Amino acid sequence: MARREIESEVAGNVWKVEVAEGDTVAAGEVLLILESMKMEIPLESPESGRVAELRVAPEDSVDEGQVLVVLET
Amino acid sequence: MGSWDSEVEELKRRENLARVQGGKAGIAKQHARGRLTIRERIDAFLDPGSFQEHGKATAIPDYDANDELIGFVPANYVVGLGMVAGRRVAVGGEDFTLKGGSPNSAGLRKSVYAEHMAVNYRVPLVRMLEGGGGSVKGTGRRGGTVGEPIHTEPRFKIICDAMGQVPVASAALGAVAGFPAGRLVASHFAVMTRHTSQVLIGGPALVERALGVRMTKEELGGAQVHASSGIVDNIAEDEYDAFAQIRCFLSYLPSNIWQRAPRVGNEDAPGRTEEELLSIVPRDSNAPFDMRRIVELVMDRDSVFEMGALYGPSQICALARLNGQPVGVLANDCTVYAGAMTAEAAQKYRRFVETCDMFHLPVVNFVDQPGFMIGPEAERNGTIRYGMAAVAAAVQASVPWASIQVHKGFGVATAAHYGSDAYVLAWPSVESGALPVEGGVAVAFHREIAAAEDPEAKRNELENQLKDARSPFPRAESFAVNELIDPRETRPALCDWIEWIQPKLEDLTGPVTFPIRP
Repeated sequence: MARREIESEVAGNVWKVEVAEGDTVAAGEVLLILESMKMEIPLESPESGRVAELRVAPEDSVDEGQVLVVLET
Repeated sequence: MGSWDSEVEELKRRENLARVQGGKAGIAKQHARGRLTIRERIDAFLDPGSFQEHGKATAIPDYDANDELIGFVPANYVVGLGMVAGRRVAVGGEDFTLKGGSPNSAGLRKSVYAEHMAVNYRVPLVRMLEGGGGSVKGTGRRGGTVGEPIHTEPRFKIICDAMGQVPVASAALGAVAGFPAGRLVASHFAVMTRHTSQVLIGGPALVERALGVRMTKEELGGAQVHASSGIVDNIAEDEYDAFAQIRCFLSYLPSNIWQRAPRVGNEDAPGRTEEELLSIVPRDSNAPFDMRRIVELVMDRDSVFEMGALYGPSQICALARLNGQPVGVLANDCTVYAGAMTAEAAQKYRRFVETCDMFHLPVVNFVDQPGFMIGPEAERNGTIRYGMAAVAAAVQASVPWASIQVHKGFGVATAAHYGSDAYVLAWPSVESGALPVEGGVAVAFHREIAAAEDPEAKRNELENQLKDARSPFPRAESFAVNELIDPRETRPALCDWIEWIQPKLEDLTGPVTFPIRP
């Protein structure tokens, strides 16, 4: 089983979290929505797998390149 | 009556010797690294059989006491003219099978000649780069003269001059360091292979010595670094992909600044309307949308060639065609910082506009500009200076310019999206002003908000009032735009405009007031 770290491409805040740890997700499924420069940017799962770690919660601020979710694939 | 038979025979023998390159062993070594030799590269890049080499017998010879040739090291740079899709180009590159691509004296002369040849014959220059530049060991003889005569023209002058006269495209196809790395960026389009090339100012040994940092050349200057550093525009999967990208890039451009960009036959109806455009921008102003899809739907089918997607990614730069006419396309990607202009996006923007201006390519700009990037990092990066350079490039450009107000247009950065005499179309989704309503309200009404019983509620109320007043119609009524249009009509409208600008393009050749610099 491979672990894949999913990073934020932008700096901003976590607006909504759409999944919980342990959830199975499909490729393209929205994991969470960031708010950056007033745009709501969905973070999609790059592949199918299970959410092993959710490292942020709503209203957390995140940096560019920060790992937000770890996926088990 | 004597004949020159023996000299002609000898000449042929030498030309064959030069084609031997680094010999079987040198060539095998190059192939083992997963790379082509320079002659294979040139053959793969050009139209078949079209290469006309210059300096076929160039070499460093070794003669014995009787003037007999006993040694013959070919020049390690191969250069000449050839055809790309039936149009002539100059092409050259280092021969890495010899002396690791570091120039021998004969090779150095030919490499400098590449730029002269392109400028002289007014054809695009294509460089296939692999090499490390000068070596400390030097190429001169001991005891003779050193350096160049003081009256020699600086070697880099022609490299920079060429950029102002002909299209220049470069490919990094192996380790490219020092002088060749400088050449790589002195291009209008640069591409590197994903797995087999690195671009470095100084290699690992130099870096470790100077800084005490131990890194491989891949870590220092591999594709994963330069995809977003801005020194190359695109990454190629392999050498053949790099050649295909350069051929594609050249297809949009004239052979030199005195010619017009080649308009090609087009089978995509100029009147094509696209239903998808009517709803592609969400009514919720904070929801992102796919700008690349908009560009794709409006331009001639399969004609969009994006450059530098990962550098300054809030700004999209691409070459494309509208009814067969090559154009430069600018657009904002709202999924990256809402499309804000960062220092990097601004530099990418300036270079691209200067390239379009120099080659007289009309510009089509899909505007969704929330303004310059703000925040501590943006200030540290000197964003406003690069941003103003982008504005200057746009407002001083001489090419015909069309702007489509797709969504946002706020602040000074928006000025970069309009050339002089721009043809301006607006979609009903347009929003514009000095500042976006949300941030602007907090600043402009800070006293009222602070004095209110519930400041948060007051701010929301003011924001909503202003948002409600935001309507696309006043700009059409005030002739602040040429037309407010149905988004589905964007392609037909732009294709009409392409016909209107033809007389101006006819006249727009030769140097512009400010050509591009690296």
